[in-house]
Parts: sequence; C-alpha cells; structure tokens
Amino acid sequence: MPRYAMVIDLQRCVGCGSCSISCRSENNVPEGIYWSNKITETSGTFPNVRYHYIPTLCNHCDNAPCVRGCPTQAMHKLENGITMHDPDKCIGCKYCEFNCPYGVIYFNWRKPHPFWRQQDALIEGGTSSPAEEAKKAGGKVIPYYNPERAETLPGIRPKGVVEKCTFCDHRVKKGLLPRCVEACPADARIFGDISNPNSQVSKLLGKFRPFRLREQLGTDPHVFYIRDFNPAHYQPTKGGV
Amino acid sequence: MSRSKSAYWIWMGLLGVAILAGLVAAFQLFTKGHYLFNANDVLMWSLPLGVYIYLALTSTGLTLLASLPLVFGIQKYEPLAKRLVFLAIATLVGAFVSIGLELGNVWHMFYIMLSPNLSSPIWWMGFIYSVELVVLAVKFWRLHVGDWHSPLGKVLGHASFLAAIVAPLMIGSVFGLTESRVTYFGPVMSIYCLMMAILSGAALCLFYNLVLARIGGSGLSESIYAIQDDMARIFTWAMGLVIVFTLVKVAIESATVIPDFLNYHKYAQIFGGIGNLNTEVILGLLLPFVLMAIPSIRSTDAGRMLASGLVLVGTLAMHMEILLAGQSRPIGPKAEQYPDYIQYFPSIYEWLVMLLAVAVALLLYTLGERYLKLEAAPEH
Ligand code: SF4
Ligand code: SF4
Repeated sequence: MPRYAMVIDLQRCVGCGSCSISCRSENNVPEGIYWSNKITETSGTFPNVRYHYIPTLCNHCDNAPCVRGCPTQAMHKLENGITMHDPDKCIGCKYCEFNCPYGVIYFNWRKPHPFWRQQDALIEGGTSSPAEEAKKAGGKVIPYYNPERAETLPGIRPKGVVEKCTFCDHRVKKGLLPRCVEACPADARIFGDISNPNSQVSKLLGKFRPFRLREQLGTDPHVFYIRDFNPAHYQPTKGGV
Repeated sequence: MSRSKSAYWIWMGLLGVAILAGLVAAFQLFTKGHYLFNANDVLMWSLPLGVYIYLALTSTGLTLLASLPLVFGIQKYEPLAKRLVFLAIATLVGAFVSIGLELGNVWHMFYIMLSPNLSSPIWWMGFIYSVELVVLAVKFWRLHVGDWHSPLGKVLGHASFLAAIVAPLMIGSVFGLTESRVTYFGPVMSIYCLMMAILSGAALCLFYNLVLARIGGSGLSESIYAIQDDMARIFTWAMGLVIVFTLVKVAIESATVIPDFLNYHKYAQIFGGIGNLNTEVILGLLLPFVLMAIPSIRSTDAGRMLASGLVLVGTLAMHMEILLAGQSRPIGPKAEQYPDYIQYFPSIYEWLVMLLAVAVALLLYTLGERYLKLEAAPEH
C-alpha cells in the first residue's frame, strides 16, 4: 500500500493561487471554507521588508490529532495515509477543528453555497435567480458542480459537519493526481508515494533539506516544503560594528 | 388562591416561557444551522459549550457530595443525599440540553456507541456522563423506594462516585490533550476541572438549601441546618483549593516567555481585571472566600447566600474565560481570513440555549421538590 505525501517547492511556487481555485471547483468547496489555503508572513521592518508565502492544505499527519480526538471515528486514516472524513458519522462537535494544529478544518455553519440557493432574481422578470441559473447549468446547487467529488464523499457536505482537504482521494483512487497538483502552472507541487524510495517525492526529500509545519508537535505531517522563493542577491559582507 | 400557590404558578409560567423561547431557538438551530451563534472557525466553542462544562461539572460536584453519606457512610449527611442525587440528575440533564444544541448534528450521536473511538477524550466524556446519568437515575429510584443500604444501592453509589471522579478529568483532558493549544495547560486542566466541580457543586448545595428554606417560609429544617455548617466549610475549602490553583496558574502565566502564553495573556481578561487577576476571579472567588473567612458573615444565611451566589456566577465566568481565551487567535492559514483577535459576545441564540438548559434544570428541581419527597432519609 502506498503512503501518499506531497512536496511543495517554495522556489517554484509563484503564489498564483491556482491550487486554491482548482481545489474549490474540484471539491465544490463553499464560500468561507478553504481546503487549500496559504500562510503569508512578513519579515523585516520597513524599508527592509519582504513577505513569504506558504501554501497550506491538510498535512495528512501520521499522528493526526484530529483523528485521535474524534469521538465517532468520523475523522479517520485510510491505509494510504490520507486523513479522511465521513460526514455520516460526524456529530459536528468540532473537536477535530479545535485539535488540528494547522487550521485546515472548517465547519459548515449553514447550508453550503447560500448564494446559489437564492430564489430571488436581482431584477424581477429581467434576470434569473441564482438557483435558476445553477439549475440551467445542470449543476447541483452550484452551476460549476463537480459530480466526481460525490464518488467518495457527499458532493456538497451538509450543514452541521466539518470538512477539509482529502488529497483528492477520489482522483488518487483512479490513478489521477490531486487537482491542485495538476493545476499548478509552476510544477511546485509534487505528489507521490513516500514509501517508495524511487518516487519523485522520495528523491526530492533526499536532495533538499525539507521542513514541515510545527514539526515539534510530533504530528508527523506528510506535506513537506523544500527550498525558498528568494531570487535576491546581496554583496558579500562581514557586517560591521 | 394563597400567596404561595400563586407564586408557584407565576414561577412555573416563567419557566414555561423560558423553555418555549429555548425550544423556538432550538428549532431554528436545527433548521438553519449554527451560524446563528456568534462562533466561527477560529472561536468554535462558545457560550453553550461553556454552559455545558459548567452544568456538567456542577452535577459532578453534587454527586461527589452525595457520596459522603451514600458511599462513605457519613450518616449525618443522609438527609441531604436524596436531594443531592436528584439535583445532580437535573443539572446533568441541563448540561445535555446545552451540548445537544451545540453539536452540529446531534442525530448522529448513536455513532458514539456504534463507532467508538477509545482514544478520544470526548468519547470518554460522553460515555461516562451517559453512564452517570443512568446510574444516578437508578440510584434515585432505589432511594425513592426506601432502599438505602441494599447491595445494589451500594454498587450504584460506588459507580456514580467513580464516574464523578473520572468525568471531570475527561472534560479537562478534552482541553489538556490539545497539544497545539499549550495554554490549556496539559494534565493540570483535569485537576482544575475536578476542583471546580467540587466548588460549584458545594456552592449550589449551599445556595439551594438557603433558597428552599426561604421559599418554604419555615427556615431550614433542623437536620439540614446542622449540615449547612459543614457544607459551608466544604465550600470554603473548595474555594481555597481553586484559589491556590488559580494563583499558581497566574504565576506561571506571568513568568513564562513562551509566545503562546504571552499572546494568551494579552487576551485573557475578557471581563477585565486588576493586574493579572481577572474580574471573575476577584469577585467570584476571592471576595466570597474573604466573606466566608469572616466569622460574623460566615455564620449568617445572608452571608452564605451571597458568597455561594457569587461563586455560582464566578465559576461559569471562569470556565468561559479559559474556553474563549484559548481560541481567540486564528491558527495557521486562518489568519488570512480572520482578524488577529476574535471579539466575542454571545448571540441571542446562544443566550437562549443557556436559558433553556438552566430552565430545564430549574423545572426539574421544582417538580422534584413538589412530588418526590427529596428530604427523605433512612430510619436508624
Ligand atoms: S493537518 Fe490537521 S486535519 Fe490534517 S491530518 Fe493533520 S491534524 Fe488532521
Ligand atoms: S466534528 Fe465530526 S469529524 Fe470532527 S471530531 Fe467531531 S465528530 Fe469527529
């Protein structure tokens, strides 16, 4: 059985957000919820200042606190290492969300996609309502509904349960890459089986010194970051007193 | 209608209105969703969860007090036993109402039994409190039919005592096991919850007896009167314990330079405070302790009522403070979407959930007093 992992090459990443947008349409993610997200950090003080951009997603931790704490095993590990969620078993206690050290789980506080459920047209008799629009497009609730998501999870998760990135388990199952990996125009995301020493991810991890988020917590995250996006040069210097 | 009779019906009417309002809110929550709470994906556990913790721990405290006569055989306290068991049940029902309305999908609860996760503190908490409720109910029934000393009664008493020791440890570990939120203080949180349970249980016992005596108009009955002094002592000791704990906690928080704590500290005084002492600690813990330390106040009903009343409000505020301060800053990428610090004030729906939980407990207290002969004690 493979153990899936992702390497994110920060030197290649241009911060375009393709990953997040493609994730949204692949997984029918509602507004306010982010399966794929980013951390922006600023360093230095003006005028010597720059910002860093770290794309984030569920780390599919080996020692996942979200899984350990879930009372009903709704949050669980698959054999291939993916941290998966079963909304049918979820009681919506939000403990996983409370427990995840990475801020990647979200709760459905309301029926998802409220905008596309609206029945009222903006101009009566002139425009169609969002709900009519979605229906005309042949979607389910949203016009850009992706039915493939429903192969392993409800296509759109109901209110009252949590949701998060699944490494696109429904695609991986069919031998396809996660959608964010495929959509990245800079090839900054590399996906594969970390238990296979010849996989691309294993090779990269042996070549560069990777880091993971909040490693000291012992969660054993399986999203690795390599290199750094910093094209700047500076004159060699020894500083001064 | 006599004055006391009309007062009774006015009281029942008020409870009825409160419960009705709470049920309307519950219906809205089930149909529309929990966006009706002022919670979000950073601060996800809010007032209803705090009320749950508070009521569940108070129920635990009452059970522990009931164990003095029922498990440890202190006969002097037997006149309190049946009432304490009943209050523990009613308070726990209130707690379940509050958490039931906090959960996103309470209908999936049966998976707690069908698909248990034994490494989850929430699972253990739910399991132990469910067992506790059943054991207490059976125990109450045994007491009600006059069985005080049968082997079954003893087993039930011991079982409820054990559950009451473990349950607060589990509530504490729900927080304490969250390694990503160090400000919840690891295993110490469990000990804190146990002490808070004894404190709010003792406060409720003291306060309740005094209110009951006042409503009855005839003052405390002789047997209860004799016990109240001891209850006041237990109450004061419990305050002392929580004070020591709280001061140690404040000292650690003040001395540490761990960034999480520094941030926590910045936001830890939701209700304000003087120096490093929070308002609810000053008014809900230190002040009543001082009141109970002054003999001329300690020995009066009014003094005891004030002190226990302050603690009953104070302990809820302390639970809320700890709960909120540990979740007021976004984690990781959520900082992109949310401000550095989440301001929180409960929405009307959260207040109504609290009202419903408390009103259900109060309704049960009222009916219990009327129909269940709560002061019964065995003949010796
Ligand atoms: S990143 Fe969070 S949600 Fe994902 S496996 Fe780790 S703890 Fe669970
Ligand atoms: S919210 Fe659902 S998935 Fe998360 S811990 Fe609770 S039951 Fe498990």
